[in-house]
Amino acid sequence: MTENKTILICDDDEGILELVSIILEGSGFQTVCVQNSLEIFKKISEKDPDLIFLDLWMPQLSGDQVLKTIREDESFSGLPVIVMSASRDGAAIAHQAGANDFLAKPFDIDELVDKARALMR
Amino acid sequence: MKEETNKNGFSPGGEQELELMRKALDASITGVIITNNLLEDNPIIYCNAAFERMTGYVRNEVIGRNCRFLQKEDRRQEARQKIKDAIENGEACIVEIRNYKKNGNFFWNELYVTPIKDANGVVTHFIGIQNDISPRRKAKEDLERVQRDTDRLVMERTRELRESEEYLLSILQTVRECLIVLDAEMKVLTVNDQFLRVFKVSRAETEGTKLYDLGNGQWAIEKLQNLLENVLPSNNPVLDFEVEHDFPHIGKKLMLLNAHRVELEGQYKDHILLAIEDITDRREIERRKDDFLSIASHELKTPLTTVRGFIQLLQKTPNTQLPDQFSSALEKANTHLDRLGNLINELLNVSKIQSGNIEIYRDYFDINEAISETINAFREASKTHRITLKGSIPEQYYGDESQIVQVVKNLISNAIKYSPEAKEVIVTISMVSEFVKISVTDFGVGIRPDEQNRIFQRFYRVSENQKSFPGMGMGLYVCEQIIENHGGTIWVDSEPGKGSTFSFTLPLLINNDRK
Repeated sequence: MTENKTILICDDDEGILELVSIILEGSGFQTVCVQNSLEIFKKISEKDPDLIFLDLWMPQLSGDQVLKTIREDESFSGLPVIVMSASRDGAAIAHQAGANDFLAKPFDIDELVDKARALMR
Repeated sequence: MKEETNKNGFSPGGEQELELMRKALDASITGVIITNNLLEDNPIIYCNAAFERMTGYVRNEVIGRNCRFLQKEDRRQEARQKIKDAIENGEACIVEIRNYKKNGNFFWNELYVTPIKDANGVVTHFIGIQNDISPRRKAKEDLERVQRDTDRLVMERTRELRESEEYLLSILQTVRECLIVLDAEMKVLTVNDQFLRVFKVSRAETEGTKLYDLGNGQWAIEKLQNLLENVLPSNNPVLDFEVEHDFPHIGKKLMLLNAHRVELEGQYKDHILLAIEDITDRREIERRKDDFLSIASHELKTPLTTVRGFIQLLQKTPNTQLPDQFSSALEKANTHLDRLGNLINELLNVSKIQSGNIEIYRDYFDINEAISETINAFREASKTHRITLKGSIPEQYYGDESQIVQVVKNLISNAIKYSPEAKEVIVTISMVSEFVKISVTDFGVGIRPDEQNRIFQRFYRVSENQKSFPGMGMGLYVCEQIIENHGGTIWVDSEPGKGSTFSFTLPLLINNDRK
């Protein structure tokens, strides 16, 4: 059931992290927040999430670079990633980097939850 | 006469000779007179037929008069003094003198005066040989006048040329662009000082050299050569040709080239004026501005996302727990957040369009459905206007759905915004030849003809709308750019007070290079 699912959220903006985790927890998921994108790989190994919400524009390591690394690493194979971005090119960049879905900021909270659910069915 | 001849020692055979000579004189076309210097006032004692013809006088009107009668009232001539001196000194002379015919007509008389002396050296007679040289004189005067006029014209022209040359020179040296004049072989004839300053080169190493050999061959670009060599034969100018190059002395620069054929009243047609502008800094500033706008609008969206999300969370709280005015306030906050979001999007779009890197993500989509969905969203939000959709197209359209939807959204929201008194907005989709045509019609305030062309300009606002209809003047600009990027056209038909119809067309067939 959803209660067992863990979602990792990676965004450099604290407000977004808080919002997304409140929304997801309100929908019955467990969440892990990563603000410094360099720490994401360690967190993935630690928490073994079922889904990742990944921002694109981040100062340490950009979202598409993170995603490429994830896709190249066999131990992370099959891990669904939803890229979220305020950039207009976001969808294209996300698609190119191998994202499973894209969520444009600002987003609708139902949309966010729907997209998360769809990928963890 | 016989006695006279005898007295003068003429033989009888000489008399016949004399008669012949008289006839010869009359046959001459040169006027001949003889005056008797021994008589008072040196009167004319003989004139030939040519003299009669020349002056219009007959013999009996001439004999006995002094030659000066031919001058009539025109007595102050330099030539007179010369004749007078010659007569007094018993010398020959030749003058050109103004004489008058019997009818008063003036003629130039070339007069040879020769004295006849007796054995003692006393001047007994003068012979005057006369020629009407009026035509010759006139031709000469005409020639002199033409020469004078020519001289004057040449002087004026020279002065004008010098003035306009100085004028042009001052322009050439003042403009901030580098200017080069090239001949048909692309050899540099002249450059202005700015050229020498910008490229840090000397006049000597520049003028006389082929353009393509300048510096380290920076202008030897095949495409530029083709364009330049086409300027003279076709009179097609080279417009805004950009050259990015690592130039000697000045390093990597971006130069903008414009070249035109030089034409000065048919002269110098074989010359090309090439203007070069260093746009390195300008381009860099534009790029930084675009970067700034991109980053700014991106950064604005992040807090907007958070605020919007938390408001939505509040709205999701079961109604029983919140008072009524609470939920209505949240709804309003949400509406205005949407507006803020749209403004930020527009700003981002403008900055992208400006930097030329708005990308089209084309895919096949059902344009009928996309527009229908867009209209439905408006129907839910706007209770004031009835939005009707007419027509449909049978095919899928290959283009950027989100951009096309953006255009339709902008047009519908404008239609609602600028028709506060009206109740209806009509959206029409149709196929026209191989184009999709979409129109949005309102029955609102309309647009004056002189404003109709300008409303697509960036940040342009119809002046009387500034206060009653707030906005940033970006919507239509973005629409036009998007439609143009799709190879289409957007335009408006409008009448003030009656309403406006904004229409755009999109070609269904797309060039392969656009895909």
